[in-house]
Amino acid sequence: MAEGITLENVVKTYGKGETAVHALRGVDMAVAKGEVVGLIGPSGSGKSTLLKCLGAVIEPTSGKMTIGDRCIYDNGWKVRDLRALRRDMIGFIFQAPYLIPFLDVTDNVALLPMLARKPNAVARKQARDLLDALGVGHRAAAMPSQLSGGEQQRVAIARALINRPPVILADEPTAPLDGQRAVAVAGLLNDMARQFDTAIIIVTHDEKIIPTFKRLYNIRDGRTVEDVTAPNA
Amino acid sequence: MISLAGRDILHSWGKFVLTGAGLGLLIGVTLSMAGVYRGMVDDAQALLDNSRADLWVVQKDTLGPYAEPSSLPEDSERPIRGMRGVAQAAGVTYLTMQIAHGDADVRVMVVGAEMGEPGLPGQPTHLISGRQIVRGHYEAVADLKTGFAVGDRVKVRRNSYTIVGLTSRMVSSGGDPMLFLSLKDAQAAQFQKDSDAIVRQRARTAANPQLNPPGNPAVAQAVNAVQSGNTNVNAVLVSIARDADPDAVAATIRRWQRLTVYTRAEMEEILVEKLIANSAKQIAMFLVILSIVSAAIVAFIIYTMTIGKIREIAVLKLIGTRNRTISWMILQQALGLGLIGFIVGKIAASLWAPFFPKYVLLLPADSALGFVAVMLICTLASVLAIQAAIKVDPAEAIGG
Repeated sequence: MAEGITLENVVKTYGKGETAVHALRGVDMAVAKGEVVGLIGPSGSGKSTLLKCLGAVIEPTSGKMTIGDRCIYDNGWKVRDLRALRRDMIGFIFQAPYLIPFLDVTDNVALLPMLARKPNAVARKQARDLLDALGVGHRAAAMPSQLSGGEQQRVAIARALINRPPVILADEPTAPLDGQRAVAVAGLLNDMARQFDTAIIIVTHDEKIIPTFKRLYNIRDGRTVEDVTAPNA
Repeated sequence: MISLAGRDILHSWGKFVLTGAGLGLLIGVTLSMAGVYRGMVDDAQALLDNSRADLWVVQKDTLGPYAEPSSLPEDSERPIRGMRGVAQAAGVTYLTMQIAHGDADVRVMVVGAEMGEPGLPGQPTHLISGRQIVRGHYEAVADLKTGFAVGDRVKVRRNSYTIVGLTSRMVSSGGDPMLFLSLKDAQAAQFQKDSDAIVRQRARTAANPQLNPPGNPAVAQAVNAVQSGNTNVNAVLVSIARDADPDAVAATIRRWQRLTVYTRAEMEEILVEKLIANSAKQIAMFLVILSIVSAAIVAFIIYTMTIGKIREIAVLKLIGTRNRTISWMILQQALGLGLIGFIVGKIAASLWAPFFPKYVLLLPADSALGFVAVMLICTLASVLAIQAAIKVDPAEAIGG
């Protein structure tokens, strides 16, 4: 399988000298396109730091990161415009949907292609098609506040997928959902990963969805990333 | 690209409109303050225009008749009338006083004008109903703002006068409406002593052997006659001939009559730059304070609105929105708020202007300047919010 995202010995240290905090001490990770992996670990283990490094939001201290066949970090950023990198190559799904409250569902999803200077009509058509695929096409004209939690999360997934990024990072996407809906969203992400040939990394504490992952990474003290196979996969 | 600011405004239009309305009332007050100043200037100019004078001849070394007391003999106008370049000259008196109208008092400027021939300087203009004064005594023309009607009788000092005509926009530099009397009546109102004062004056004259020499009562009678009357005027208003140069005519009067003469430009300077200068400075201070308060309010509102959207801004930045797009959104919202505020303020100022006791003149140029100032203030006020938005770390969108 083609590589979606690869991390080699990624280190992140906050501060210097005796007060330095070693959040990541050498993380290796590889997720193929079309694959969904879980990232688990106790609080303070470095999950969020890893997610921020993967999302090109903070700069690692050292190591190497590759998305597809493009090296984005090798002991320094290899891309000039990190915003464009995030917009075009990385999709984000958050714990809460964080939809823009003053945009309707269609424009929440279409915003990304619009930011990439696609014509509004084209971006909206693309957004409506995706919303149909995710089963929320009938809510395309609604405002986020009119949606249920599950619908909002589906719209958030559509927003993450709209630019067809090679990688999607999901930060506890099922946390606000009940068990049935959480499993449904996890299943949806698996379907979308295959359908859109996207690598999806899901950070989670949610034991209900852990069995849905074929592979799990367990991170402890930022020291090691352990590749384990989920017990019920 | 869609307008994020426009969508945000439409989404929470109630909040925007209410905030804009509040700001608008403040802008309305600011526009009204400017209108009050313009009204004062316009009142001063109306006073000069309506006097139909090109030159004001006043007591030597005074700024009379509007800014300082001035008194000169009534017959000063005769030699002036005969000078080259002078078309007409007429004595005039001005006296600001309270007169009764029903149960209330009305503050008016009593103007004494020569009514001998029509069109003399100082006579009432802009007559909208009734007629001019045609009798020598006990007739008056009042400005509409006094509240008098044709046929009303008003008492000025010891005498009663019938209102025979009404004018509009005949006001003093202070905005008090004018009440025109014949020159003789006005002189009596201004200078005539009351009965008790005359009795006391006569007693003092009788007790003074120099003014009341024994065996010659005619001297005392003559002294009493002089002291009980006054034929002075406050100024002589001069209109000059069509081809005459006002400065040259003024110089001739100064040289030969040894009186102080002001041209229209000089009198305008006295009224605008001396008489209402302090009021203008007062209003300017209010304008500055109101502008600062408006800026602070807009800055606070926009800043609060931005801080309330920190998470959304973090998400926008995380998914690739540029700082300039977010800054433009905040700036547009500030400008939108300013636009709503200005529209509300302009409407409010126009609606409440007629209820001000003094004339409020809202000039389109001032409104245009006010609009530019509001937009500038809103732009400056959005800087703080833009700085806050730029500082938002996209990592805030990711938990932990």
